[in-house]
Amino acid sequence: MNTAVAKNFKPAQTVMAEALPWLSAKASLAQDKAPAWIKALRETGAESFAATGLPTPAWEGWQYTNLRPLTDGTFHYSADAVSVPANLPAPLLADSYRIVLVNGQLQTGLSQLPAGVMLTPLMDAQGAEEELATVGDLAATPLVALNTAYMRDGFVLDVARGKDIDKPIEILYWHQPTAAGDAPAIYPRCLIRVAENSGLTVLERHIGQGAAFTNMYEGIVLEPAARLRFYRFIDETADACHFSHTMVRSQKSSVFEGFSGVSTLRTGRQDVRLQLLDAGISSSISGIYMLNGQQSHDFSILADHFEPDGMSEQHFKGVIDDQARAIFQGKIHVHRPAQKTDGYQSHHALLLSDKAEACAKPELEIYADDVKCSHGATAGMLDTSALFYMQSRGIPEKQARALLILSFLSQTLERVSDEPVRELYRARVTSWLDALQGA
Amino acid sequence: MLKIENLHATIDGREVLKGLTLEMKAGEVHAIMGPNGSGKSTLSYVLAGRAGYEITAGTITFMGQDITEMVPEERAALGLFLAFQYPVEIPGVTTTTFLRTAVNAVRKARGESEMGPADFLKMQKKKITELGMDAEMLKRGVNVGFSGGEKKRNEVLQLSMLQPKLAILDETDSGLDIDALKVVSDGVNTLRAADRSFLIITHYQRLLNYIKPDVVHVLAKGKIQRTGGPELALELEEKGYADFIDEAA
Repeated sequence: MNTAVAKNFKPAQTVMAEALPWLSAKASLAQDKAPAWIKALRETGAESFAATGLPTPAWEGWQYTNLRPLTDGTFHYSADAVSVPANLPAPLLADSYRIVLVNGQLQTGLSQLPAGVMLTPLMDAQGAEEELATVGDLAATPLVALNTAYMRDGFVLDVARGKDIDKPIEILYWHQPTAAGDAPAIYPRCLIRVAENSGLTVLERHIGQGAAFTNMYEGIVLEPAARLRFYRFIDETADACHFSHTMVRSQKSSVFEGFSGVSTLRTGRQDVRLQLLDAGISSSISGIYMLNGQQSHDFSILADHFEPDGMSEQHFKGVIDDQARAIFQGKIHVHRPAQKTDGYQSHHALLLSDKAEACAKPELEIYADDVKCSHGATAGMLDTSALFYMQSRGIPEKQARALLILSFLSQTLERVSDEPVRELYRARVTSWLDALQGA
Repeated sequence: MLKIENLHATIDGREVLKGLTLEMKAGEVHAIMGPNGSGKSTLSYVLAGRAGYEITAGTITFMGQDITEMVPEERAALGLFLAFQYPVEIPGVTTTTFLRTAVNAVRKARGESEMGPADFLKMQKKKITELGMDAEMLKRGVNVGFSGGEKKRNEVLQLSMLQPKLAILDETDSGLDIDALKVVSDGVNTLRAADRSFLIITHYQRLLNYIKPDVVHVLAKGKIQRTGGPELALELEEKGYADFIDEAA
């Protein structure tokens, strides 16, 4: 991302004092039974993070992201085993498989998975070293470096070849205060691999109790002709900070359909990299957000087309009330060999108050000459003519506003091809609107 | 049923209605004719309660209540309906959803029980058949991609579903060909009733061939300049508005 910084970065020469508190709990991992390759990665991550610290607004791509809650707040990493609450939230769908993580720690005993799917704790992952270690330039992605410094929790999820998994897998990320009562810092590192010609639907759900700082790295590998529907729900708490970095590596003729719905959190950023590594790939990431109060959220997306005949889409819509801020930074990068690429990108924000903010940075970088790419970004208020029209038909103003907002977001919800999941997102929009009307 | 007394209204600080007085009884059809810029559309928006139109003097009494401070939805619940000159497009809200939300909102405001989906669809089907509308339109976003004629039919559909006490038709004839005009007028005529009044706002006399008014008013320079029977409309068609513009000047 930050090529200028990366280019000029000389790790051995600098250590930033403000980075050190973030690394102080690392000592608690020193004597654990991690394999040598993980221990080595931790050192690399720590060294890199010590040199950069957290990104500042001076960093390219970080001008708008609100990181203040991270520097103001106190988050503590705890290596101790968590106590799992007796009443975890019920699954979103009545009929689904399940993986549970509490403060990032995988609860193997609580997972329910079908044949053809293999779940391995990160520390036992063998044969996935390269995919777990190849995370890009750490100097340019300090949060990934920090995640790497604490690499221990997480999993590798493998779907065997030629399997269509019949029901979605819900991956529940639950956070709660540490045993000492502190707000936890959570560093999961996960890898989902869908083997050749297999299909899977994942519901990744982030929810919890109290303040927390989640900083996760997630790798996704789609082998040739694999299909993954990846649905994320960020519905945490008013004091939760959610940062995630998702790297989707797609191989020939695979299909990735990503969607993310953001409602409750304090601040957050989702970095998503779509890497279209071979020909004939479809890869999309879309989402909706509903922000109010002082909330802030950033979608930073890069679609990287390396080979011909690929299609990538990024479509986002959101509603911003009060003094909330939404950021969309989307880029389509078409490398020279990637002829016949289709790349589409859009971001539309609906501002419900004078102090709400939408920042959009759409970018195209194209080196191939036979491509179709488009981008569009808008920010607007509710259409007062439509409001009056509805009111003149007897629909109360609040209800009319809610109907207009729902219809605005509905167009993006249509991108969720799994109907029950689409209804889950729609229900979340409706409940958000009900709260807005009640306010 | 409707009594407007000495109504003054401004938009963006500019006075458009300058002492308009008008009274309508239940079951009557009144036409308001006038040249461009005379305040016809302003009157319709002021009656419906659109934000931005400020009443600086005078009163509007509807169904025995002073409605000048009421929000549009309260006026609609009382039985006021405005058929728009330019019906608004609402992408993403289907016509059926829109209609059902409106019908039930009005019923709720009137203290009636909400209509179940089955009853509603039955009523809707009956109405669209009467109006010769394509059921496909109901699944589309409100007025999205509708032709001028379809939009006006959709206004009449809403009118017939909401069963108001007073329907204001703002330039309903504009943009309609003769066939569409006939369908829309027939729709309106079937809704005429002893307890339902119509206020037809129009520039041209043409619509009044199809919907016969009881009373015709001439609006110019923000005031009613003259009131008469249906023959006044014919006179205006022949002579134009020049007299009134001059007279008022």
